[in-house]
Amino acid sequence: MTGTVLAALAAQAAPLLACALILIFLRGRPRVAAGTAIAALTVSFAAAAFLVWQVAVPNTASVSQTLWLPVQGGAGLAFGVILDPLAVTMALVVAAITLAVMVYSTGYMRGDPGFARYFGFLALFGWAMLGLVLASNLLQLLVFWELVGLASFLLIGFWFEREAPAAAARKAFLMTRVGDVGFLLGVLLLIRALGVATIPDVLAAATSSAPGFTVPLVAFLLLMGVVGKSAQGPLFTWLPDAMEGPTPVSALLHSATMVAAGVFLVARLHPLFAAAPGVMQGLLWLALVTALASATMAMVANDIKRVLAYSSISQLSYMLMALAAGSVAAGFFHLTTHAGFKALLFLSSGIFIHHAHSNDMREIAGHEPLSQKAGVIGLVAGSLALAGVIPFAGYFSKEMVLGAMGERVGGVVLALAYLGAGLTAYYTFRMVFLTLRGQTPRRQEARDIAPAAHVAGHEEHFSAAAHAAMAWPVLALAALTLVLGYLGGFFATRLSPALPHEGPFHVGGGALVALALVAAGIALAWYEFGRAGALRLGFAERVPALKSFFGDNWYLDRLYKATVIRWTLALSRAAKWNDHTVLDGASDGVAQGTVWGGRILSMVQNGFVQAYVAVAISVVAALGIWLTRTGGLP
Amino acid sequence: MNWAGAVFGASAATALVGAVCAVGLKSIFHNILGFALAMLGVAGVFLSLGSDFLAVVFVLVYVGAVAIAMVYAVMLSVPLDQPARPRSRTKVAGAALFAAIGAAAIWLVVRSAAWPPATGRLDVAAAWAGYRFLRDYVLAFELISVLLVVAMMGAVMVARRSRASAEER
Amino acid sequence: MSPALYLGFATLLFGVGLYGLLQRRSLVAMLISLELMLAAVSVNVVALTTLTGHDASMGQVVALILVGVAAAETAIGLSLFVAIHRASHSIDVETLSELKG
Repeated sequence: MTGTVLAALAAQAAPLLACALILIFLRGRPRVAAGTAIAALTVSFAAAAFLVWQVAVPNTASVSQTLWLPVQGGAGLAFGVILDPLAVTMALVVAAITLAVMVYSTGYMRGDPGFARYFGFLALFGWAMLGLVLASNLLQLLVFWELVGLASFLLIGFWFEREAPAAAARKAFLMTRVGDVGFLLGVLLLIRALGVATIPDVLAAATSSAPGFTVPLVAFLLLMGVVGKSAQGPLFTWLPDAMEGPTPVSALLHSATMVAAGVFLVARLHPLFAAAPGVMQGLLWLALVTALASATMAMVANDIKRVLAYSSISQLSYMLMALAAGSVAAGFFHLTTHAGFKALLFLSSGIFIHHAHSNDMREIAGHEPLSQKAGVIGLVAGSLALAGVIPFAGYFSKEMVLGAMGERVGGVVLALAYLGAGLTAYYTFRMVFLTLRGQTPRRQEARDIAPAAHVAGHEEHFSAAAHAAMAWPVLALAALTLVLGYLGGFFATRLSPALPHEGPFHVGGGALVALALVAAGIALAWYEFGRAGALRLGFAERVPALKSFFGDNWYLDRLYKATVIRWTLALSRAAKWNDHTVLDGASDGVAQGTVWGGRILSMVQNGFVQAYVAVAISVVAALGIWLTRTGGLP
Repeated sequence: MNWAGAVFGASAATALVGAVCAVGLKSIFHNILGFALAMLGVAGVFLSLGSDFLAVVFVLVYVGAVAIAMVYAVMLSVPLDQPARPRSRTKVAGAALFAAIGAAAIWLVVRSAAWPPATGRLDVAAAWAGYRFLRDYVLAFELISVLLVVAMMGAVMVARRSRASAEER
Repeated sequence: MSPALYLGFATLLFGVGLYGLLQRRSLVAMLISLELMLAAVSVNVVALTTLTGHDASMGQVVALILVGVAAAETAIGLSLFVAIHRASHSIDVETLSELKG
C-alpha cells in the first residue's frame, strides 16, 4: 500500500472516526466535540493536500481497490480509492471548505444546545463527501451519494424542533430521492450491461461499446440523480427551502458538498455522458433554463440566503453547461472557484445574520452592517467573484466556461449564457447594495424596536472569541478568491479535454462582452439600489406579476402541489381506504366470524355436567351404531 | 332350571330393584340403601357365575365400604331437613330418552357382535386369579395400589379445610 | 346358560345408571349411578369370560381392577363433593355452572 493510498484512507477515516466519537461519547461535551471534528478535518485536509502534491501535480492516475465480495461471473464488490487529479483536487476543496465551515461554526453555533451533535453531523458530511469523491467503484459512490443526502437531511433539519426546518429537510430529502431512484437504476443497469463497476473500467467500456440503447439510457438515469442533487431543472425547489438550516450548513451544502456532488459525478463519469450526445444536449438546455430562471428568482428575493441559494443553482447550471458542452476542465474549475466564493458569501452573510438576527436584507441594512468588517470584506469579495469581475476567481472560471461553450455550442445558447452572466452581476450587486447601504427609515424603527435586553443577550453569547472564530475563515476564503482564479491552467492541462491554455489574462472577444455585461449589471444595480436616493426597488419587482412569479419559484412549488403532491395524496387516500375498508374489513370480518362462531359454539359449554354426559353418550351411541352398521367390528 | 339360573334370576331382579331405588327415590339415604341392595344383587350375579371371590369383594367393598362412605359424606354436608326441589319433567324425559338411546346402542352392539360360542360355565378358583394377578398382571396390580394411595391422599387434601378458609371462619 | 341373559341384565343396569346420571341433581346420586354403570361393566366382562371359555381368570382380574378404580373414584368423588359443598353450600349440579362458556 503506497503512501498516497494511505493518505486517501486517512482522509476518509478521520472524519468518520470523529463523527462516531462525537455522536457516541461527546454529546455532552461541546468544546471537545468541536475540537475533535476540527482535528479530524485537519487530518483530512493535510492528507488531501499531500494527495494533490503527490497525484495531481505530477498528473498521475491510479486505482487501488480490494475485492470485498467476489461474485461468480460478475464484477463483485470491490472497494477502494481512485486517485487522479479530479478526485484529489475535489477532496482538497471538500476538506478545506468543511474545515473553514467548522472553524466558523465554533463561533456561529456557540451556545446552541445541539452544538456537539452539529459537529458530529458536519464530520459525517465531510466523511460522506470525501468518500464520494475518492470512491473507486460505482456502488461505493452510490453509498456515499446517499450518505451525503442523509447528512444534508440531518443538517438542514438541524433545528428539527421547529416546523420549517423539519419540513425543509424532508423536502430536500424527498426531492433528491426522486432523482436518486434514477441514479440507482442507472448504476444497476450500467453494472448489468457492462459487468464492471470500477469507474475507469466503466468509462472504458462505455466509450468503446457499440452505439446502442444502453449508454444513453444509463446517462439519462444517472442525470436524474445529478439533477436532484445539484438542484437543477424541475427538482431545484428544495434548495431555497434548505436555507432553513444553520447558515454555515448552507455554506457547506452549496459550495463543496451536497450540490457539488451532482456536478462532480458528471465530471467523474464524463466520458460516459459524452457517449450520449443527445442526453448531453438535453442537459445543456435544462441547465441553461435553470440558470436563467434561478437568476430571475434571485432578482426579487429579499432573504439574503435565498438570493445566495438561487445564485448557487444558477452557478451549478453554468458548471453543468460547461460539462454538457464537453469541457470537464471548465466545469470543474468553476466548481472549485465557486466552492470558495460561495462558502465565503454564505459565511459572511452569516455574520450579518448573526448580527441583525434576521435573514432579510432590509433588516440587516438597518443594523449597521458596516460595523461587521470581516463580513463586509467577505461579502464584497465574494460578490465580485460571483459576478465575475476581473481579477477575482469567478471571472476566470466563468470565462473558461463561456469559452468552452463558445467553442462547442455557440448560437442562442451562448447568447443566453452571456445574458445570464449579466443577470448574475445585477442580482449579486443588488444584494450587496441592499445589504450594505441601508439608509432607510427602517433603520430607526429597527433600533427602536430592538429592546436593550435583546441586544445584551445577543452580545453575551457572541463574544470576541466567537467573532474571531467567524472572521478568520471568512478572511481566509476572501484571500482565496483572489488566488483560485490563477489555477485555470492547472485544471486545463490535467482534465479532459486537454486544452491549450492561453494564460489567465487572455482576453478574447467573449471576455470583453462578458465584462461589458457584468459592468452593465452592476451599473443597473447601482442605479436601482446603490446610489443615494435610489428607490431600492428592482425593475422586476415593479411588475407585480413578475415579482410573484419569480418570487414563488416560478410557481413550481404550486405546480407540484397541484399535481404530483395532489396525486400522491389521492393515491395515499386510496391506499388508506383500501387499508381501512378492504384489508381491515377482511380481518375484522374474520375476527367477527370467529367471535360469532365462538358464541354459537359456547352454547355447548352451558356448564351443566349432565348435558355434557348426554352429548358424550349420544356420540358414543352413534359411533356404536355406525360401527355395527358398517361392520366395523372385527 | 338349575340353581345357578335361580340364583341369577333372583339376584338380577334384586339388583335391578335396588338400582331403580338408587336412582328413583327422592331421599338420598334411600338412594344409598338402594345402591347397597343393587350391589348385593350384583354380588349374587357373580355367585351365579361361579365367581364367589368377586362376589365377596363386591359385598365388602360396595355394600361395606362405599355405601358407608357415602352416608358419611351425606351426613357431613347435605341439609336433610330442607325439602328437595321437585323434579323437572322435561329433564326426566330427556334423561330417560338418552338413557334409552345409550342402552339401545349397547344392546345393538352386543347383538351384532360375533361372540365366541358358549361353552358352559367355567369355574375359576380365586387362587388362580390371585396367581395371575401377581404374575401376568403384577404391573396393573401395583398401579392399582398406587392409584388407591394417591386417591386417598387426594381425597384428604381436597376434603380438608384449607388453612386460609379455616381462618376466614 | 346363555351369555345373552347376563348381557341383557348388564345393559338394563347400565341404562338405569345412565338415567340416574343424567337426571339426578345431587352429586352423591350421580356418583351412585356411576357405580351402577361400572358394576354393569364388571358383570359383562365376568360373564363373557366365564361363559365363553375365553380366559376365565382374565375376567376376574379385570373386575378386580375395576373395583379398585371404582373405589378410588368414590374416594375422590366424595371428597370433592364435601369440598364443593363447603365452597358453595350446594351439591346441586344445576347450580354448579361456573364454567359456562
